[in-house]
Amino acid sequence: MKKILSILLLVIVTSSSCEKDDICDANTPTTPRLVIDFYNITTPSVKKNVTNLKVVGDGMKEGIVFNSSATGDDQYLTSGTSISIPLKTDANSTKFSFTLNSGNPNPTLIDIDEVTFNYTRENVFVSRACGFKTLFTFDPTNPYIHTAVPSTKTKWMRVISIEKSNIANENETHVKIFF
Amino acid sequence: MTVFCIQAQETTPTTKSLDKTKTEGVIPASPKQAKAKPSSATKTDTIVPIKKDRYGVRVGLDLYKLTRGLYDSNYKGIELVGDYRFTKNYYLAAEIGSEDKTTEDDRLNTTTKGTYIKFGFDYNAYENWLNMENIISIGLRGGFSTFNQELNSYKIYNTQHYWNEMPWIESGKSFNGLTAGWIEVVAGVKVKVYNNIFVGFSLRMNTLLFEKKPDENFENLYIPGFNRTYAGNFGAGFNYTVTYFIPLYKKTVKPKEVVKKEIK
Repeated sequence: MKKILSILLLVIVTSSSCEKDDICDANTPTTPRLVIDFYNITTPSVKKNVTNLKVVGDGMKEGIVFNSSATGDDQYLTSGTSISIPLKTDANSTKFSFTLNSGNPNPTLIDIDEVTFNYTRENVFVSRACGFKTLFTFDPTNPYIHTAVPSTKTKWMRVISIEKSNIANENETHVKIFF
Repeated sequence: MTVFCIQAQETTPTTKSLDKTKTEGVIPASPKQAKAKPSSATKTDTIVPIKKDRYGVRVGLDLYKLTRGLYDSNYKGIELVGDYRFTKNYYLAAEIGSEDKTTEDDRLNTTTKGTYIKFGFDYNAYENWLNMENIISIGLRGGFSTFNQELNSYKIYNTQHYWNEMPWIESGKSFNGLTAGWIEVVAGVKVKVYNNIFVGFSLRMNTLLFEKKPDENFENLYIPGFNRTYAGNFGAGFNYTVTYFIPLYKKTVKPKEVVKKEIK
């Protein structure tokens, strides 16, 4: 009897400890973000820091959070050399506005460019807990549409270069922007 | 072995001779009677408890699967169970079943339909008194299932929640011709409640041996008979059975311990 009871207990303990795979592990590669690196237009091999860049998705009121530890509007600003932004998984294009020197008191220093990325999507099974992820492939003929706001102004992004046409993970740079 | 036998043979006469010498000193006539009495007593002892084990087939069904369909609209299932006693403690055992289960995970909604068969044995570790026929058993089964899965709807996982949370995406894609095989370790109890009617339950730990997965973009999330799959190849299950015992023949129980003593 004791042996059987201990086996029954073992069954209960081991089965309850297996509930872990109900939670999607944060390290599991799921829907990748678009990774953009910024480069210096005069010396194209050198990365260049943006200054107070704010990226807002079309139709959204708030920008993409780059600095979650900051408070207020500062959390939407970045002054790094690389950003990762989420593409829409329910449409074949996503439009962003990129605002350089955002929040600067001198309005002449603020530059706004709008870029629409065009792509196709594929939904790929990940696991029970994570469900599916979306992988993207840039439209081969027309991967992006780039305009300045207002359109009469010169674009602050001088060159946009698609480095990887398949967006399958976040470990590589998909787009290089020279300014 | 032979050495032990010789020793055993040698020791018994010496003790007998010792007894003789002792008893002869007091009463000379009595030892013959005393010798005769215990031998006859042992013979009658072996005959007195006429214990007969009943051998036969037990058939029934899993009440858990049957009743679950009443309160769980996502589940329909039936399992027939049976066993055959082929030695005193060993039973051939089998389960045959069919399941139709819709699983609602956080990001997946799938329906699995299929049938399964499990075959193996149970070992009854319970020593019954007189004509009791209860069973506390440990057993093994080999299980095999053929089934199909349908992905009803799913959600896209996104670590970023910048864009609005995506709604469920309808799919309706089905994956047919799937198979799986596994081994179960079964711990069970069966109690005779009335005449030939038994109720019982069993807990099962399953190890998946092989599976035919969907060709692309999916995996087996539920296997009929095996139940839910986990990371790795582990599974678990249980059943709650009512069975009817059909007796076929009887065998008298040999009093093993007495026989051993007589040989020595």
